[in-house]
Amino acid sequence: MTTRRDLFKITGGAAVGALLTPAPWRMITDGALWSENWPGIPRPARGEIRAKFTNCTLCPAGCAMKARCVGDQPISLAGVAGHPLSHGALCPFGIAGHHLPYHPERLLSGAVEDAAAAIKKGIGEGGRIAVFDTRPGRTASWTYRRAMASLPGGLYLRPQAALNGNAVDLSAARTVLSFGVPLLDGWGTPGNVIQARGNFRLIQVEAIESRTAAMADLWLPTNAGEERAMASIILNGGMDHIARELENGPVLVLGPEDWPEIVELNRKYGALGRTIVSRRDAPVPDTWKDAAPEMEWADAAEGSIRVLLIDETAPGAYVPWHSLETKLSRDAVVVAFTATRDGYARHAQFSIPTAVFPEALDDIPAAVDSPAGVFRLSTSLVPPAAGTIDPAMFIARLAGIDAASALRDRAGAICRSARGNVFHYADSKSTPMKEMKADAFWKSLNEGACWIDDLDPKAPAPKLVARAATRASNVSLVETCGAGLVSPLFSKLHEESHVRLARHEIALNPAGGFHDGERVALQTDCGRIAMTVLLDPSIPPGSIQAATGADVLDLCGGVTGAKVVRI
Amino acid sequence: MNARYGMTIDIDRCNGCGACMVACAVENNIPPAHAGANDRKGLTWIRVYKVDNGKEYPERRSAFVPVLCQQCGNETPCAHVCPQQAVDVDPKTGVVGQMPERCLGCRYCMAACPYHARYFNWWDPAWPKGMEKTLNPSVAPRMRGVVEKCNFCHGRWHEARQRAAAGGLAASEPVDYVPACVEACPAGAIRFGNLNDATTEVARKSKEPDSFRLLEKLGTDPKIYYHSKRDWVKTIAEAPRPGAGKENVRG
Amino acid sequence: MRGTILFLAGLTAALGAGWIAFPKVLYRHSPQPVDFSHKVHAEKAGQKCEDCHAFRDDGSFAGIPSLEKCSGCHAAAMGTTAAEKNFIEHYVIPNREPEWHDYAQQPENVWFSHATHVKRASMKCETCHGNIGAAGTLPAYRLDPVSGYSRDVMSMDACVNCHRQKGSEHSCLDCHK
Repeated sequence: MTTRRDLFKITGGAAVGALLTPAPWRMITDGALWSENWPGIPRPARGEIRAKFTNCTLCPAGCAMKARCVGDQPISLAGVAGHPLSHGALCPFGIAGHHLPYHPERLLSGAVEDAAAAIKKGIGEGGRIAVFDTRPGRTASWTYRRAMASLPGGLYLRPQAALNGNAVDLSAARTVLSFGVPLLDGWGTPGNVIQARGNFRLIQVEAIESRTAAMADLWLPTNAGEERAMASIILNGGMDHIARELENGPVLVLGPEDWPEIVELNRKYGALGRTIVSRRDAPVPDTWKDAAPEMEWADAAEGSIRVLLIDETAPGAYVPWHSLETKLSRDAVVVAFTATRDGYARHAQFSIPTAVFPEALDDIPAAVDSPAGVFRLSTSLVPPAAGTIDPAMFIARLAGIDAASALRDRAGAICRSARGNVFHYADSKSTPMKEMKADAFWKSLNEGACWIDDLDPKAPAPKLVARAATRASNVSLVETCGAGLVSPLFSKLHEESHVRLARHEIALNPAGGFHDGERVALQTDCGRIAMTVLLDPSIPPGSIQAATGADVLDLCGGVTGAKVVRI
Repeated sequence: MNARYGMTIDIDRCNGCGACMVACAVENNIPPAHAGANDRKGLTWIRVYKVDNGKEYPERRSAFVPVLCQQCGNETPCAHVCPQQAVDVDPKTGVVGQMPERCLGCRYCMAACPYHARYFNWWDPAWPKGMEKTLNPSVAPRMRGVVEKCNFCHGRWHEARQRAAAGGLAASEPVDYVPACVEACPAGAIRFGNLNDATTEVARKSKEPDSFRLLEKLGTDPKIYYHSKRDWVKTIAEAPRPGAGKENVRG
Repeated sequence: MRGTILFLAGLTAALGAGWIAFPKVLYRHSPQPVDFSHKVHAEKAGQKCEDCHAFRDDGSFAGIPSLEKCSGCHAAAMGTTAAEKNFIEHYVIPNREPEWHDYAQQPENVWFSHATHVKRASMKCETCHGNIGAAGTLPAYRLDPVSGYSRDVMSMDACVNCHRQKGSEHSCLDCHK
């Protein structure tokens, strides 16, 4: 009969025996290894590390980039050292630009067929068609202009050209007087500004101590919204110490818009032709010259547009909707080509999803601080997402013109001009354009290169035209890369720290009586948007700092002042 | 000779853009903020703080100070307290290495670190769908419950050493490489190099009178040297002034 | 007496289970997707290890060669074996990478540089990988489903022992990512 004691003996023997085998020891180490294989933690893909070159399209600077790729997949971006325009610098938006194709809020579906049908109907009924292009000067922009020339009454509309389309030669400046312009925080080409920084004395006139104000040589605080008033005082001879500073030329005066005071100051202190220069754009094929002319949107007749196609793919200037809307006829059809739901898609009947950086092949026109014309491509580092449409091809097809090889044709025209130099990113060498053939030029552009024009010795003197101010004066808008998408990693900068303002977050002086984190509304005559308060003593009482966004620009465009109200 | 990798950070050049923070997250597979994350629960191996001179508007002046692991060289506090030996100091480079795979998440090191430069994974990392394709194979992602911090981009260091080995360089030669934040800073405010090599920019700049280290009086011997010509910045940092007597007060 | 016998019976049973049954039961065997013969390639094709398991310019190691390397020669059948025919039909023609089982697959947090060990320390492949190159078939891949790694994977102890001997044991980050 088996007793309990027997059982214990056998079990005891088995236990001792087991300990003398590898089994339990093995299970312990295996268990430890098993616990390390935590489910849900992704394993980075392995493969050959390759470098690819491109240019950033997230803002008009178009900084040169070197992409580190695993196989064909970009995993990080860095600048191209020695580049004559960007000098190897990238801004935080560009550094994480390769995340955009996977942005959870990206627009990926739209009623393309319905939009095409509505457009055809509108044109068929004799209505006027117009394209509004947020970043003019691209080759796609020329495609739109050619398309509009082929359609009866077609218009090509663009945002107002800052500085009348002239360029700034920052390297020539010795004194820069800036009225609230974020010169050291995203203006122009960051690498170029940093490079030139040592050459000029910066006087920043601004109500809040922005990043630029904090880094300026002299910060002139004003009351909220009174930057323009100070410009007027300086123009009329007040403020001797500033007048003395401005004797140290060449001088450059910058403002957020082309206020008459800014234009006059530049004229008075001899900026025209020295720090503000005219610039010729990259050549285009002769056959394109009969394209529709560029028209500033404000010059279009009110209520005249039946079909409005908005290309918002390249983040650029955003014109508030209530202004643009006045140009539409009563039964207008609005189609927005965009990758985000937050821009004109909020107002359009149809939103058509487009590719984002770095999916599409596109070119970037010269930035405001490039005195020479340029031509550079943003190459397709990853294939465009399924369902996205190329707006240039769509509109070209609509008008029955062939634009499939537009970029290559333009490169050909540039090559034939035999002007300028080509800077190659892989080896930092420069080749004069006249020594390159068209095929080699196209190949270089796709592998990472930039064409930089010679400066035009016969350049006409630049003309500046004054414009009326259109923005709310007491709201300081912090740029967040236009209206485009930003990498989800930016939550590090506004959730996990307070380096930048989040969307729908406003910074106020504690004296305003609001609490940190309080939900409030930013209100103007145009409406209100819910915001969260962040207290910041460097904002003067009465001023409001907000992150740019299309909805904020809609709210604050064209009004005199904004209020913060409790909700 | 052993290397001592260090940095100089020029506060006068930093404009608080955050490029270093983003580049660090890209390089080291740090996920975007979890829904519950705030500035005390985030993962920011390098973090830019805004400091000011304490005055009211309009006399208020601000500056930006990027803070990352200071790679303490003397009685490294975190290495001292770790019960798991999940932190070690490399004698050949001076880098204080954090091993999340050994960490058991007690967070004693976070309490010990005087610079608040260590971060805890409160949640499992999550990337938006598809974004995991952009992860860096040179750095292992961490699970929740472990502490992580800057290791001076050990992934890039590994690759540089591998290149050196393939190129025939001896193992004892310290390799030349650049961490992600240094490469990313558009203003060139952060510089990196071997402090033991007197010819490097960091070695030279660290000896300038306007250079100082954070919390010098604790005697941690950090390898990050900050630099500013502004007096009020030095005051905030309790920077010892040149010629003011004892430079490093320690017992 | 009876007690001792029972004890010894239990002991023997456990020893048998632990030493004989346990290894048989623990591992899952998977054959490699292609019945590749190192011997044939080394002898008939006259290839050395480096011809297929090569270093790239940046010092990284290509490891198991990709389909591109194999297709370079095997775009069409070079011999008469069924294994080659199978390979061409299922992998070369549809341009599909074979899902090789990696005997030496290390955890994600391990950094191993072939360049340092092969080029600098002049180690031979066989030292760590065994004499795979002389075999006519690939060894079976024995997966330990609990840990997730192969039976033949090198443990940290194996690495540390050699490093300690050579005096190149400095810091954890040398080998960990």
